[in-house]
Order: sequence, then C-alpha cells, then structure tokens
Amino acid sequence: MSTPALAEDASQPRRKGRPRVSETASPSLVQILNLVRSEQATTRQEIERHSELGRAVVADRLGTLAELGLINESELGTATGGRAPRLVRFSADRGRILVATLDQTALGVGIADLDGALLMEHHEASELTQPVSALAERLITLFRWILERQGNPQLFGISISVPGAVPDGGEALFLGTTPAVLPGWESFPLVEALVEAFDAPVWLRSSVETMTMGELHAGVGSGHRTILFVKVGKRIGAGLGSDGALFRGAQGAVGLIGSVPISGPGGSGTLEAMAGSDHIAQEGRSAAERGASPILAEHMRRGGEITALEVAQAAQVGDAAAIEILSQSGRLIGQVVATLANMLNPALIVLSGSIAQTNDILLAAAREAIYGACHPLVSRDLQVVRSQMGSSAGLVGAAIVAVEGVFSPAILRDWIMAGRPQAHPLFQRMKDEIARKRRAEEHIVRPPDA
Amino acid sequence: MAISGLGPHGERASAPERVLLLPEDMARARARGFRVAIVLHTLASDWAKQQLSGMIGMLGDCGVAVIDVVDCAFTPEVQIEALDRLIAEAPDAIVSLPVANAKVAAAHARVAAAGIKLVLLDNVPTGLLPGKDYTSLISADNFGLGKIAAECLSPHVAEGSEVGVLGYEADFFATNEREIAFVKWMRINRPDVRLQVRRFPSLADAARVTRGLFDDHPSIAGLFVVWDTPSIASAGVLTALDRKIPMVTVDLGQEAAIGLAANNSLVAIAAQQPFRQGETAASVTVSALLGRLTPDWVALPGLAVTAENVVECFQTVWRKPAPREVLRMLSLVSPALPRTTPS
Repeated sequence: MSTPALAEDASQPRRKGRPRVSETASPSLVQILNLVRSEQATTRQEIERHSELGRAVVADRLGTLAELGLINESELGTATGGRAPRLVRFSADRGRILVATLDQTALGVGIADLDGALLMEHHEASELTQPVSALAERLITLFRWILERQGNPQLFGISISVPGAVPDGGEALFLGTTPAVLPGWESFPLVEALVEAFDAPVWLRSSVETMTMGELHAGVGSGHRTILFVKVGKRIGAGLGSDGALFRGAQGAVGLIGSVPISGPGGSGTLEAMAGSDHIAQEGRSAAERGASPILAEHMRRGGEITALEVAQAAQVGDAAAIEILSQSGRLIGQVVATLANMLNPALIVLSGSIAQTNDILLAAAREAIYGACHPLVSRDLQVVRSQMGSSAGLVGAAIVAVEGVFSPAILRDWIMAGRPQAHPLFQRMKDEIARKRRAEEHIVRPPDA
Repeated sequence: MAISGLGPHGERASAPERVLLLPEDMARARARGFRVAIVLHTLASDWAKQQLSGMIGMLGDCGVAVIDVVDCAFTPEVQIEALDRLIAEAPDAIVSLPVANAKVAAAHARVAAAGIKLVLLDNVPTGLLPGKDYTSLISADNFGLGKIAAECLSPHVAEGSEVGVLGYEADFFATNEREIAFVKWMRINRPDVRLQVRRFPSLADAARVTRGLFDDHPSIAGLFVVWDTPSIASAGVLTALDRKIPMVTVDLGQEAAIGLAANNSLVAIAAQQPFRQGETAASVTVSALLGRLTPDWVALPGLAVTAENVVECFQTVWRKPAPREVLRMLSLVSPALPRTTPS
C-alpha cells in the first residue's frame, strides 16, 4: 500500500524549524527494514536489541512498514517460556524485479521476488551484433509477456547483465542514462527506453559481476564470504565476491583477466587468445585436419562444424587430442587464477561457462595448476568447483544487484516513506528529463526528403 | 533438424545421440540390477503412453526393473505424495514429469537430497539446478515446435488477418516456449498479422476460452493451440459456430491425425517424438546410474506434419500404422477393404 502524499513530502526542499516526521522516521525505518530483510532480527525483541531503539519507536515503525506492505507479522515463532512471539517477516512479494542477461549469442529474461528468487525465466538464441533498437524491442516484448503472465505485479526495478564492464561511479545507484557499454549503445538510449516502458529504475552490470553475485547468493558460493568466479568462454573474465558483496573496483572494471599475457607451448599471447573457446575450437579443427583426432575428423567429414563444445564432447568420450587441447587450456587458466588466489585467499573458486561446466577435463587441469601454484595456506581449504547454475546465475545475480540497490540505505531512505522506489527524487528527475526530451523531439520539424 | 530453442536455464541442447548406450553399457547396467520409478503427469494421453512404452522397453533392455509407474492426474498434491512415498522405497533413480513449478519444487529437491538420481521430462520446477538437484532434462525442442506451427499456418492466413493464440495459463516450460516461439516467428515474418492471445487454466476450460476469444474477435482467420487435446475442444467450438478457419497445433494424437487427413480446419501439426523421447530418457537414466556425465538438457527435434506426410509421420512418431480412417481419407486403402490394420 503506497502513500503518495508522503512521497510528495519527501521530495520537498528542507524547511526551517522542527523536522518533519518523515525526516526523523526515515533512518530508523531503513535500519529496521534491513534488519528484517537480512533476517538478522525476526522478532520485535530482536529488532529492539539490534537497533537500540525503544519499544514504542519500534512498534510505530513496524506499523508504518506493515502499512507500506514491506513487512508482515502474521506468523508465530517458537515460544521460549512465555507467549509465542510474532515473527517479523520481509514481504518479498511486495514487488518484483525484471531481469535479463544479454550474451554474445543468447538473451535470457526472468522475474524475481524481492529476495532475488527467480519465479520465471526464458532463454532464446539472439545475436548481440543486431541493432540495439531491435534488441531492446525484443527485450521489452519478452518483459511484457512475463509481466502479463505474472498478473502485472508492482515493479521495484529492472536489472540487466551485459557482456562487458559497466563503467559507473555510483555504488548502488540506478542508472540515469545509458552508459556506452557496447558498440552502438551510444546511439540508442536503452535505459531510458526501459524506464519509459516500465516505470522502474534500471541497473546494468557485467555478466561476470552478475554471475558472481548469483553464485554467491544462490549457487555453490552461498554460505561463503569470499569467492572467486571465473567464466571461461570466448572471453575469460573473473569476479570477486568479497565479504558477501560484489567487489567493483574503482570503475567497475574488475577481473578482466583475459588480457593477461601468458606463454604456453604454442607461443605467447593473452589468456583469452591462448585458452579461450575460440582457441579450443581452432586447435580442434587443426587436430581433425591432421588426423590426430579421429572423432573430430569423423564429425568434420559428415559436414559438422567444430566449435569448442564439440572438442569438449570428444574429450569426454576419450579422444586423446581433444583431451590434450582442453588440458592445456585448463592449465593456462589455472596458472593465472592461482596468482589471483594467492593475492585474495578465496574460500571457493567457481569455474563457469559452457566448456568448464560440461567438461571434467578442463576443470581437472585447472584445479591441478591452481593447487600446484598456490601457497599452502591459501590452498589448505580452497575448493575449486564448477558452476551448476548456468545462465541462471546471471539472472539471479542481476536480481540481487537490483535488490541490494533498491534497499541500500543511501537509496532506501529517499523512497521508503512512499513505499515504492519510483518515488526516489532522482528517479522522478530522470523521468522528467526523458519526458522533456520526448517533447523536444516531437517539436523538431524534419526537413523534407531530398 | 537443428534445435532452435535453449534449455530452461539457457543450456545449449545436446542431441539424443550423445547418450546412446553401447552393448557394453547395457551389459554393465544388467550386472548392477538397478531399480527405477516413473512419475508422469497422466497415463491417459497417447503421448504419455508412447513415452512410457519407449522408456520401459529401453530400461528392460538394460535389465533395469521399473518398480512403479505413477499417474499424477495433473495434480501437484498427488505428485508430492508419490515422490515422498517413492523416496522411502529408495530406488536408484526416479524419472518424473513435474506437473507444476513452485508447488512441486521442494518435493523434487528431496529426491536428489536423498541420493536418488532424478531425471526430468519436459519441465523443471522453479529453482532446481542441473547437476545439483537433477541429472538431466529430456524434452522436445518446444521452441522449435512453436516455430514449425507458425511457419505452417502462415501460408493459410491472408494479408492483414487476425490470428488467435490459445496458450496454457500454468507456468510450464514446454507450453511457454511454444507460445513465445509462435508469436516471435509471426512478429518477425508476418508483421501484418494481428495476434490475439488467450490462455486456458485447465483442459476443461479450453472450449470456454476459445468461445470467448471468438466472441471478442469474430474476424480471427487462423488459430494456434499449444497442444492437441485442447485443440479438439477448440475445433468443436468452431464447428458449433459454423466457422472453418485454418488451425495448427502440437502433438500428433490419433484424433489430430484424423483431423489432419480430413482436410478440415486443422492444416498442420508440429509433432513431438514421444517414443524416442522415452527411449532417450531411459538412456540418460542408465548413463547417469553408470556414473557417466550426462548433458543438462537433451532435446529432440519436432516434425512438421501436414495431410501430405501424415501417414509416414504417424509411423515415425507412434511406431505403428496410421489409423484406418486416415488411410481411407487419403485414399490409401479402398473403402470396401475389410479392416485388417490395427489402429
């Protein structure tokens, strides 16, 4: 239940004199909501203890949060001597997050609740090289389809995973304009188009970042504080989950390990060029042509294309040349990752990407190289595992990015009194700006066609 | 035929050939004496019967005992109860077709947690992950089926027409993919066509929803129904309304095959291969039980069936001759000939 009148108040400039209720209540509302959301406190007593707020204030704030639909107290906990306490639960169904992953060859869309749990997802083949406008149109069509299937729920945000670093300075703040993440994006305002279509704030993160978040919160990394995530594909990138949160560096360009120069038996080059899926495919083709790999040669003879996936499948059924190609890739990746592990001391290293996920050989070789080159203290309890979430890691992680953003204290305090993130003054300003530009465009008189 | 869709988590499809069992695999399986249980959404449809027959036959070839076959009657509660009962029986593997998403997710997660291999057919409950919660998913290329249906309907629909899409209300991977693919193909290749989408919550509502669609949009000149059983109900409504419009659907059931041969409304069917899918599910189960790495998603291509190829496609799909009525309608047998072919 939203209270629009309060939203208008929240965007008013500060007046002199006694502070308004919304100004004094916001910090405690933010604090209490996040204690409940993170399940650090699940009863009124626990909230009073953690927040150091008085009983009357806690009761008042919980009343406000319940009225805004952000918490509920309908469930009873376990009694410890007296009357069973009422449990204070975060209402994850209060809103929904639309999520998408844009990959080189695929587009994934989904919808998640405010805990970041995916409720529905769909993936389809899609070329990233198509015009951004076509991509945006498809994305909007699929988002509309999902919203219709879900009964048009209240949206709290949109979060998109893209195949490149997203340079932005703001920690958790939603985007005000479309950053030039990929070629052609400077000419099409994707973020603005999504805001116009769905009236919700938008976040963008690199695919490696969202997948790291996904693994950290819902995949093999859940329960760990520090994980190193490595995605092996055409590109090789890494993500770092540090102290339970995503480490974004100075400009959001963390983990571009594919450009690290390395030397291998075949010469020297970047890690991507020497161990990525293009290299695996090329080595596979060469092995088939010179007759070193009977399985790949047979596949080629029947007119089949050899990609890294075929090499991985051939290795899986015991083709010696294919095994050597993947082992070599795994060793080179392992060497670079070991350096990172020595620096960062992660509890877990997750290898992802279709090749790493479907193939034990690359994983085994990488593992051997990592354990062999790590300091004994670093490798003592270190686990190296393959991801089991596939592309879903990107969608789940994107949802977590938006949820963390929406509920980060710096943003939450500016919308909480209205009960919906759309009331954030910066979002309102962005919408006004989009509307102004739209009006200006309508007034431009096009010159007659020559 | 290439697989055009992606898996429920964006996986690339693996071909059924990836899990072919060699004679030595079968010998190893026979020596181990595995026990497997099968939990299906229904045992009443032609599709389910064929799938079961392919699966049980292949499991038999591998010496695997099928200890139970459960009919869930499309009911999540029945499926949850069946899975919990089977977990207590401790088979080596359970092959299940999840009848819902979120509702049956926890029960399916309990199977893998109990150390029993779980092989899924057609649908993955929300939040379950391959390798962790289940071994593999085996399904048709449902995206491809939707695309075939759109391609086949397109030539029968005039420029600027309105086309109805009858989808399934439940959140189900297979039917979602078919609907998305049909709509996508039409938007790209027939932008002149206006699409009107309605969804039925259960089979019993298919006729009512069809009637509502035609009441609201009487000028609809083509119809896609996401599978064959509801399409029969839709065809009934069209007959009652005295409307003859081209219709396409998915699954080559007996009645649908007759409808296709009769050259009435039904102009094409995008057919799954349930018998082959059953055999593939059995191969995946045995491969997993032998400790081999199995693909996350094995997909079988669909077939485009029209009146011209319905007889041979029926044989491919059902491994038996086409119904007598179909053969007669297509003048492949003389009407006076005594009935000798089983239907």
